[in-house]
Amino acid sequence: MRYVLVDRFLELSAGERARAVKCVTRGEPFLRDLPFFPSPLVLEALLQTGGALTRVSAGGAAMSVLGKVNRASFPGRARPGDRIDLEVTVALSRPEGTLCEGTATVDGTTIARAEFMIVLLPPELTPEPDPARDEQRRLLADALGVSQAIQENRA
Amino acid sequence: MEEQEIIAKVRKCVATALGRDEDEVQLESVLSRDLEAESIDYLDITFQLEREFGISIQKDELFPQKIFQDENYVKDGVVTEQGLAYLEEKLPFADLESFKADPKVSKVPELFTVQLLVNFVQSKVAA
Repeated sequence: MRYVLVDRFLELSAGERARAVKCVTRGEPFLRDLPFFPSPLVLEALLQTGGALTRVSAGGAAMSVLGKVNRASFPGRARPGDRIDLEVTVALSRPEGTLCEGTATVDGTTIARAEFMIVLLPPELTPEPDPARDEQRRLLADALGVSQAIQENRA
Repeated sequence: MEEQEIIAKVRKCVATALGRDEDEVQLESVLSRDLEAESIDYLDITFQLEREFGISIQKDELFPQKIFQDENYVKDGVVTEQGLAYLEEKLPFADLESFKADPKVSKVPELFTVQLLVNFVQSKVAA
């Protein structure tokens, strides 16, 4: 994943909810030409949070991808130095994926809301194994605590 | 639940999932041809119906994908007798009579109209 927009998960409760944080720094390439963190990337952070939640909820067996953003609004903005709190809940869950509702806040003020679908890739659409890419993903999942949440959900 | 209430709610679900005005969603509308539904939209419609009506829809219960995947069900682009029996079993609320006259697999998506969704929901809420 080229853009990892979640710094840390605070909670990954299978089938229920995920809470995560993204801290905005002045040095990020996204802020080279803008005084604020681009809102579509706040949405992407919510999607990445929902993707991890969906994967954990499914026991980690399948790859999760964005299916569709049903609606999104951006009533506020994040600036360098802000901590974006990301919260995603599972509104509905099916074998094919989840319907998620997400909210991003800064100091308690909502800066983004979205409803979106995360789809679990069926085996026939799952990419062929690639050792280098898969190892990179595993390391990232370990670092973010996603691997641990999957293990706990399986136990 | 009254039929008119079901119709109104189904139209709302379809309009929401497909980003359409409810006026565009008519009972005879074919989801793919008339409302330009794509594959991911069928999952969205399923979610919307589950949420709106508080029903649980099993995988492949409403949109059976197996018809496109099982080689016993389609031969040379035409749905076989076995495939037709599968569709009859999975879609008792669909209008299969006219489809049987020219059972090309490419025409299967045309079975999925808003009316079919209404029939499906009626069967679920009555159960």
